[in-house]
Amino acid sequence: MTHVAHSRRTLVPRAVARGLVVLALGALLLAPHPTAWAQSAAVAPVTPTPAASAAPPKAAPAAKAQAADAAAEAAEVAAPAAPAAASSAADTRGLDQDIQGLKKDVVDLNRDLFVLEEELLFPANTQVAVFVSMDVGDFFLLDSVSLKIDQKEVANYLYTPREVEALNKGGVHRVYIGNLKAGAHELVAFFSGQGPHERDYRRGATIKFQKGIGAKYLELKINDRQRRQQPEFEIKDWE
Amino acid sequence: MLCGALISAVLVASAASPYPLLGHPAPDFALHAVAGGNVRLSEHGGDVVVLSFWGSRCGQCRMQLDALQRSFKTYHSAGLQVFGVDVDDDQTGALDYARTQALGFPLLLDPQKAVARAYLVDNLPMTILIDRAGSVRQVHRDFSSKFEPAFLQQLRVLLNE
Repeated sequence: MTHVAHSRRTLVPRAVARGLVVLALGALLLAPHPTAWAQSAAVAPVTPTPAASAAPPKAAPAAKAQAADAAAEAAEVAAPAAPAAASSAADTRGLDQDIQGLKKDVVDLNRDLFVLEEELLFPANTQVAVFVSMDVGDFFLLDSVSLKIDQKEVANYLYTPREVEALNKGGVHRVYIGNLKAGAHELVAFFSGQGPHERDYRRGATIKFQKGIGAKYLELKINDRQRRQQPEFEIKDWE
Repeated sequence: MLCGALISAVLVASAASPYPLLGHPAPDFALHAVAGGNVRLSEHGGDVVVLSFWGSRCGQCRMQLDALQRSFKTYHSAGLQVFGVDVDDDQTGALDYARTQALGFPLLLDPQKAVARAYLVDNLPMTILIDRAGSVRQVHRDFSSKFEPAFLQQLRVLLNE
C-alpha cells in the first residue's frame, strides 16, 4: 500500500509544465518534416519524361540522346537513393520514439492530475480510505463487501471472479475513500461469499477508530485460519 | 378529452425523443449473475456488448432473448458479449427461465433497478448496443419481426469496427 504524497504547490506547476511539454511535442509532430520534403523533391526527377517516349520516328537519334541523358540523370539520382532510404528509416524511428515519449508524458500528466484531484476532493486532514486484501482464500470465495461508517452505508462492492483472482495474487483494492471529521468513529464491514463446503457465508467485523489530523487508512484483511478450517476477517488500522 | 389528448401527446413525444445516452459512455455497473458470480461491464472493454433489459412476465422479452441467443452463438467468437438484465422485483421467474432455457450468455439480476435507472429504461424489452470503445451506439425500445434484421445489421457494423 503506497501513497504518493505530493504537495499541492509542487503539483500545479508540474502539471502545467507537463502540459506545455505535451503541447510543444504535439506541435513538433504536426509540423511538416523538412528532410522528408527534401527527399521527395530529390526523388521526383527519376520518373521518365513523357516527351522521350512520344517523340516522332524522324527524331529518333534526338530521342535516343534524350533517353541517354535521362538514364545518366537517373543513375546520378540512384546513387544517393540508398543513403536517403536509410535516413528515411532513421526519421521514422525518431518519429516513433517521439510518439512514445508523447504517450508517456500524457500518461504521467494524467497520473499527476488524478493525484491532484484526489488531494483536492479528499484532503489529508479529513481523508479516510478503506482497503481490502486477501491471504490465500481457500476457505472463502469473496462475493461482496459492504461498509458502514457511523451506522451509515458508504460502500457496497461486488467482486467479479477476475477481481477475486487479483486479490488472491496479492492485490489490494481500495473499496472506499471519503471524508470524516476528527474524532471517534466506527466502521462495520460485512463480507459475503462462499465459505467452506461451498456454503453461503456472511460475516461482519467492527472497529472503532480515532480520526486525527492526518489521513486514516484501514485495511480489511481476509485470512485463512488453517487450524479451524475457517476464514478470518480482521480490520487493521494503519497509523 | 383535453387530458387524454395531453397524455397521448406526452407519450408520442417520449416515444419520438432520441435516447439521451446515445454516443455517450455506457454507465458502468456490477450485477449478480443467475449462474453465480458477478459481472462488471467495464471488464468487457474491447467487446461489442448488448444489454437486454427484460422481465419474466413479458412475452416479447423472451422472444427477444431467443433472438439474442441466435446472434450470440453466431458472433460470440467475433467479440460479441450479451447480457440479459432482469428487472423483476421477484427473481423466481428469472431463475425458472434460466433453468429451462439453455442460454449461452449470462442473465443478470437487477432487483433494485439501479442499472435500469442508469440506462433510462422506459420500456420492456429494451436492447442497448455498446461498441468496443464502451459508448452507447444503438437502442431498440421494442421487439417486433423487424427487430432481428435491423439489429443484425447494426451489430455487424459494430463488430467490424
